[in-house]
Amino acid sequence: MSTQLKRKEELEGEVMAGSVAERVITVAVAGNPNSGKSTLINAIAGTRLHVGNWAGVTVEKKEALFDFGGRKIRLVDLPGTYSLSPYSQEEIVARDYLVHQRPDLIVNVVDATNLERNLYLTVQIMELGIPVVMALNIYDEAQAKGYRIDDKGIEQMLGIAVVPTSATKRSGLDELLETVLRVADAPNQRVPKKLNYGEDIEVAAEYLAKSFRTSHPALLERYPQRWLLLKLMEQDSRVMDELNLQNLDFLDPALHHLRRAHGEDIESIMADARYSLASGLTREVLHKPELRQTELTEKIDKIVLNRFLGIPIFMAAMWLLFKFTFDLSAPFGAWLGAMTEGPFKRWASALLTPLGAPDWTVSLVNDGVIAGVGSVIVFVPVIFAMMFFITFLEGSGYMARAAFVMDRTMHAIGLHGKSFIPMLLGFGCNVPGIYATRTLENPKDKVLTALLVPLMSCGARLPVYVVFVSAFFPNNSSTVIWSLYVMGILLAVLMGLIFKKTLFRGEAPMFIMELPPYRMPSMHSLCVHTWEKGKHFLYKAGTYIFAVSVLVWFLLNLPWGVEHKRDSYLGQAGAVVAPVFQPIGFGTWEAASSLISGVIAKEIVVGTMGEIYAPKKDEKKEVPTLQEDLKEIGVSFGAACSKAVKTLLYLPVPEEKEEDRSSLKLALQGVFTPLSSYAFMVFVLLYMPCVVAIAAMRQEFGTWKWAVVGLGYQTALAWCAALIVYQGGRLLGLGG
Amino acid sequence: MIPLGLLSAGENGEIVEIMFGKGEAGCAGNAEHEKSMIRVEEMGLRIGKHVEMLTNGGSTILLRVDEARIALARRMAMKIMVRR
Repeated sequence: MSTQLKRKEELEGEVMAGSVAERVITVAVAGNPNSGKSTLINAIAGTRLHVGNWAGVTVEKKEALFDFGGRKIRLVDLPGTYSLSPYSQEEIVARDYLVHQRPDLIVNVVDATNLERNLYLTVQIMELGIPVVMALNIYDEAQAKGYRIDDKGIEQMLGIAVVPTSATKRSGLDELLETVLRVADAPNQRVPKKLNYGEDIEVAAEYLAKSFRTSHPALLERYPQRWLLLKLMEQDSRVMDELNLQNLDFLDPALHHLRRAHGEDIESIMADARYSLASGLTREVLHKPELRQTELTEKIDKIVLNRFLGIPIFMAAMWLLFKFTFDLSAPFGAWLGAMTEGPFKRWASALLTPLGAPDWTVSLVNDGVIAGVGSVIVFVPVIFAMMFFITFLEGSGYMARAAFVMDRTMHAIGLHGKSFIPMLLGFGCNVPGIYATRTLENPKDKVLTALLVPLMSCGARLPVYVVFVSAFFPNNSSTVIWSLYVMGILLAVLMGLIFKKTLFRGEAPMFIMELPPYRMPSMHSLCVHTWEKGKHFLYKAGTYIFAVSVLVWFLLNLPWGVEHKRDSYLGQAGAVVAPVFQPIGFGTWEAASSLISGVIAKEIVVGTMGEIYAPKKDEKKEVPTLQEDLKEIGVSFGAACSKAVKTLLYLPVPEEKEEDRSSLKLALQGVFTPLSSYAFMVFVLLYMPCVVAIAAMRQEFGTWKWAVVGLGYQTALAWCAALIVYQGGRLLGLGG
Repeated sequence: MIPLGLLSAGENGEIVEIMFGKGEAGCAGNAEHEKSMIRVEEMGLRIGKHVEMLTNGGSTILLRVDEARIALARRMAMKIMVRR
């Protein structure tokens, strides 16, 4: 760490040598959850925000580099925390950054309607000795409540600059940045005051400082002195371990008096000292009106959190979320799909053929790249629509209520209420479900929820069921499909219990969370957050998918000049794997190959089967011209828009002609029995999540570990479940 | 003095004791409990604070502390003593 630090100093030296305007001012933004911190950052940085993860943890990291007043400012958003104690991942990330990276300045976002609790964090931040600018945020709401806050009083008492802001109304932001520049240019005049923590603590700190100065002078140089001393007194495990300070012989004498006067638990003595500073300051600077009005938020909560109405209201909200998401996005997904299928492929061949590209290149581009990436592109509308509505629920404050309402139900499978939302989204598509786990705070809950999400039967599995059900269970098709959905849910409950007893042992931290006031999120912040959530999908999943599509194309078309799919590498692989599927009812290379290709996206199972069982006839179709293509794209986009609106409003939509799959049906009836087809559907329901879902897991958790665990347990589960269905069915005489 | 978890909706109380985690016999060594307790205090539920019960029913209760609404597991609320 010392080398790292040295490098940083060197770097700073170089930067200092440059002109003042060249220097990048690094500003860390710290604040409580729900203090409007991310709204403030979005309002300042907008699309310049770069979202990533903090190294090694699943905590989101946002950064932005931009010019203001001819100067370069780098904003680093720290996770929202209530304090800088070492008890949660967020707090550790925030304080490690502040201590080790030492930003030039800290902007402390404070909720003006909730001063005392927010100042508790401020007091801790000031211990670091880094210049602080306080953004007194949500100032407009505080004023509307009749609060009078003496911001000049805060400035004087704490020795830090205070700027009233209202991020949602975008007011005070320029003043905030101007103050940041002013403080950054004269950091020495703007050192936060050393607050008095009470005589007993200060005497002990003084004693400790004297001994420590002789024993570890280098450490006091390297770390904020005040902070280090206070942490030593608290015997903060993280600091002690990191700096190897477990055996300080002068620590006990230093703390002797403090312990005798106030009790053994120094950590809570310090917490009390900090809190009483925060509450004393609040008494000085805040004037509340005598009578407190019952707020709208409380009135809404009375209904929304009502013991009897809570769950029905939640269900209705989720139903609306689903309806809006899928009704609005499905036609656009289909439109994108049709576009990649038709015009794009035609254009690619039209471009490539005249260039003398061999047939295999054209096929690679068309059947590999465009078809593969196209299968991802069709997810874009649904993902963005879903993220938009989730962002709305989050921004409005309802998401926290949903967790409150569902908490008891979800406890049954060892999860918190908040886990319900990703699971529910999983029915639409597992991928946004997995991404939605980032709304959970506890890393254990995040992983466990993401592992269970793929058991929810997503929309992509439906085409597979439809084909098989129409071939084998035409008379009770909906019951059969429903049974598969229910099986997914029951297995999720079962697996949840098993995981809780094995991989995720230990008591979960008890439920405690803040319910923010209801607010109408602004369109701007909705769009920024939707984009933030959705773009991961575009960038990352897109690249994985691209690679896998190319790979599968090669597997299907190699060795060179392969005539029959059976002889391609995929077909051969299918033949090798097929015996594994023998005991569960479908040990043919055709079934195995299509299951292998279905890993890209489960609906591909049907596509591959179609290709294998019913070889395409050479159709000579009229090839449309470029103008016709463009016109068709425009027309079909218009049709998609009107269809979206119509389905949303329950207007009748003309049924589209179902693709004729009768030849596939006949072929399937020759190979499968009703029992083995049901086993096959069970297997498709449960076997490994599609690559997009795996990529999403890899990305959310920063390691392959959980993606691999998910893949492994699901495939094992799928095989076992299909075995029980098939062999059990045979024993019961349901035919084999 | 009654446990916070027994206040009914609309009732107010002042927190007088938090019997949780720290040093308490039987709870000693339970790191998760201690963490939860620290979180409770950080969120503003401290001795001397006035709280109002907003919703009480089910396994989670909802309180108002200053201008914040804090949802809390009942198990924790039973270990916080208040004076009405």
